[in-house]
Amino acid sequence: MSQQHILALFNNFENAEAAIYELRAADIKGFNFDDLTLKSPIEHHEVEDLLGKRSANVQWFTLGGALLGGLLGFFLISGAQANFFAQMKGGKPIVPFPPNFVLTYEMFILGGVFISVLGFLVCAGLPAKRSPLYSAKVSEDQIGILIKADASAMAKIKKVFTDHEALEIQEEAGK
Amino acid sequence: MEKDISESIAWAKINGDVLKSLEAPRKLYWVILVAALTLFGVGLGCEVYQYQIGMGVANLNNPHVWGLYIATFIFWIGMSHSGTLLSAILHLMHADWRKPIYRFAEAMTTFSLMTAGLFVMVHLGRLWQFYYSVPYPNERGLWPNFQSPLLWDAMAIFTYLSSSVIFLFIGMIPDLAICRDHLHEGWRKKLYTILSLGWEGTDRQWRNFRVTYLTVACFLIPLAVSVHSIVASDFAMSQQPGWHVTSFPPYFVAGALYSGCAAIITLFIILRYVFRFEEYMTLPILKKVARLTFAISMVWTYLNAIEFAAVWYSHDQAAKDVLLQKAMGPYAPFWWMMIFCGSVVPLMLAVKRFQTNIPVLFAVSLLLNLGMWLERWMIVAPTFSHGYYPWTWDGFQWPSWVQWGMVFGSFGWFTLLFMLFCKIFPSVSMYEVKEMVYHRSLASKKNELAEKGAH
Amino acid sequence: MSVTNLLENWSQFRHGHPVDDKPHEEYKWAMAIDLDACTGCNACSVACYAENNIPVVGKEKFNAGQQMHWMRIERYWPEDGREFADQGAQFLPMMCQQCEAAPCETVCPAGATNHTADGVNSQIYNRCVGSRYCSANCPFKVRYFNWYDYPSTDNVWPAEMTQQLNPDVSVRSKGVMEKCTFCVQRMTAAKNTARNEGRLVRDGEVQTACQQACPTNAISFGNLVDPESKVAKQWAHQQVELSKEVQAKDAQEGGTDLRGYRIMEELRLYPSVMYLERVRESAI
Repeated sequence: MSQQHILALFNNFENAEAAIYELRAADIKGFNFDDLTLKSPIEHHEVEDLLGKRSANVQWFTLGGALLGGLLGFFLISGAQANFFAQMKGGKPIVPFPPNFVLTYEMFILGGVFISVLGFLVCAGLPAKRSPLYSAKVSEDQIGILIKADASAMAKIKKVFTDHEALEIQEEAGK
Repeated sequence: MEKDISESIAWAKINGDVLKSLEAPRKLYWVILVAALTLFGVGLGCEVYQYQIGMGVANLNNPHVWGLYIATFIFWIGMSHSGTLLSAILHLMHADWRKPIYRFAEAMTTFSLMTAGLFVMVHLGRLWQFYYSVPYPNERGLWPNFQSPLLWDAMAIFTYLSSSVIFLFIGMIPDLAICRDHLHEGWRKKLYTILSLGWEGTDRQWRNFRVTYLTVACFLIPLAVSVHSIVASDFAMSQQPGWHVTSFPPYFVAGALYSGCAAIITLFIILRYVFRFEEYMTLPILKKVARLTFAISMVWTYLNAIEFAAVWYSHDQAAKDVLLQKAMGPYAPFWWMMIFCGSVVPLMLAVKRFQTNIPVLFAVSLLLNLGMWLERWMIVAPTFSHGYYPWTWDGFQWPSWVQWGMVFGSFGWFTLLFMLFCKIFPSVSMYEVKEMVYHRSLASKKNELAEKGAH
Repeated sequence: MSVTNLLENWSQFRHGHPVDDKPHEEYKWAMAIDLDACTGCNACSVACYAENNIPVVGKEKFNAGQQMHWMRIERYWPEDGREFADQGAQFLPMMCQQCEAAPCETVCPAGATNHTADGVNSQIYNRCVGSRYCSANCPFKVRYFNWYDYPSTDNVWPAEMTQQLNPDVSVRSKGVMEKCTFCVQRMTAAKNTARNEGRLVRDGEVQTACQQACPTNAISFGNLVDPESKVAKQWAHQQVELSKEVQAKDAQEGGTDLRGYRIMEELRLYPSVMYLERVRESAI
């Protein structure tokens, strides 16, 4: 059966929370709970328990990036020092540790930050085209619930939304 | 006293008020912009002149090889630190009062770093060969000297600048989405559409956003500390009397936070008026910043005293002579002015009445920054005029108008960038003000419930 | 591969200097200046200007402190309240001390100044970006910066004067640092001749311009590795040994006055120039 999108807007978080709670409990045929997306103007981390385990993996990018940056920093710098005219400077060894430590530290942070941001883009799926149903109200003060489900489940989902005082319901035209 | 941000403020109003700042600021905005542009023009002219004729026009000479350029460079680097203090350190400490003001502080970080970078450039004798000190692979197998603290500087500033820009940008994505959704058509709407990366505020986006923001904040704190420690290393790692001081890195970091906080007060007051942000940049927040500045000013005073004491008791005659020269030689007026502006003027901030008095705070913050600029000059210059070698003790070398022109020009350049930023991007974080309001109303609801339960 | 090179020659790259286990191989150029012989006549300074194409900046720039004298005669007057202070004048010819552990080298961001294999502090004009950090970190302040583009400035080398410019020495453009090179062009020429003849440079074969011009022979210059050179003998016999509490050299048979010292040895720069002068209360 063809999949359709439906977006409901709520005035406050409590209503949206209750609606999600009911949808999870309802077990509607043709609707997978993982296809529910909450859209909010601010972050609600209360919702994490409700939505179940949806992981954030940015920290692994951070770890990898920082280590890579540090290692790259040290070997790039030491290698460059060794390959450059191996001429003494100020009586210090050609590959001196204190300066290389400073630079390695900076590269460690640089790698960490850059790759974290890359991780953010990957994990959050950005940049992306906006989903088919979107209301500018979400960036103002309303909470939106976007659901992708079979056309057959739409009626039931819609009922749950209206029960919880949804202000507005947008539906994708059926194909 | 004026009220803090009200809990009942409608979210749509927050959007509206902040978006208005992108449309029609007060007339003063344009006055500032034109003044900044003029100053920048003067600075640019001086640089063109110096580039053509040679560094000699700056009236530098053999012992005095560095002048105001390096002093002002440190000043701008220092200014950048309090942006990170507000956005990263206070973020980790869950101080929610920072939320309405951290965005412009973060922008201040970015632009003051850009200004500092300019001073590294104009200071070079052969600006056109600056890339010799940048590590890039080339067919000659030549590399810069990684032992030089200047190279650490370059690396640290590059890391700090790029991380700050990223941090500023990431934190702004939800607000850019708001701008995209609510601003009228035009080139800016297209810009916001591209920059907001298709942000919709989905749970997945928010979740990853929070982790990323926190991670970058965690990186920025040690980074900010390392940046100014490295700038301090330019001096502390050298051998010169008056520079070779162990306490320089923490001293520089404290000075950086200090001048940055003072600059935040200045810009706070200007932005509040120019963009009509009275409801968001409230006096209780200003009071907190003023107290923070006072605390840091005392830390700075302490570290300053430590430095003098260390020099005095170390019985290193050369360093001692430099200190004496600062206090009693040709630099004495500036040195005492620095002590006055840096350690005495901030005592005003301890008085409760002044902590919310805008004219007083404005004047004090300007004086503090004057003091901090003088501090940097007093670090750089006296060592040259009274170094190790007696033959080079030649007293005073007054910087020429070319140097002064570029110093004032840098203020123009910074103000220009900053003011343009505030006009193009929301300088108050809308989504975070909403969060602040939301959490406060939750907390007060909880209190009400608890009270009801008690009855 | 750079990392392979790094790992293979690790111990070599971790080697500090100066240390006893790895002295200079063929050459270590050094100088000794006898202050008791110096009359402060400035001939050395003039010779240096001529030899090394040093710009003569003129009164105005000299007053601004922008003079370029690689070799300078410093004058010190006694401050004991005597009627004619000039009577106690002391002179000190000062030029780059070619430190073995030079503070200027580590701080240069472009790597434009290095320690060469024959123990001299080199300056690469082409590589210099003009950050002036080397001068800031030089305790002697013997590095001179090209504040203006001197070759194109009118009064530096007036028309006929350009005829006397030394073709072996490059003329420096604006924005680079320069300093005494121990007349590196003469050393290089002598080394080339010696290499062609399959030998080492003999003592006295290289003379620096200042040494050549000195009317009282106060300056001696040579190779410290060669124990028979005049400089090496002076260093061996006359240098005060700071590491020893009691000085024994001069008491030995055939010992001479122990009057050699290097300036500001407490900074551990290991300069290559030794000054000879009896340590005394006053010059007279």
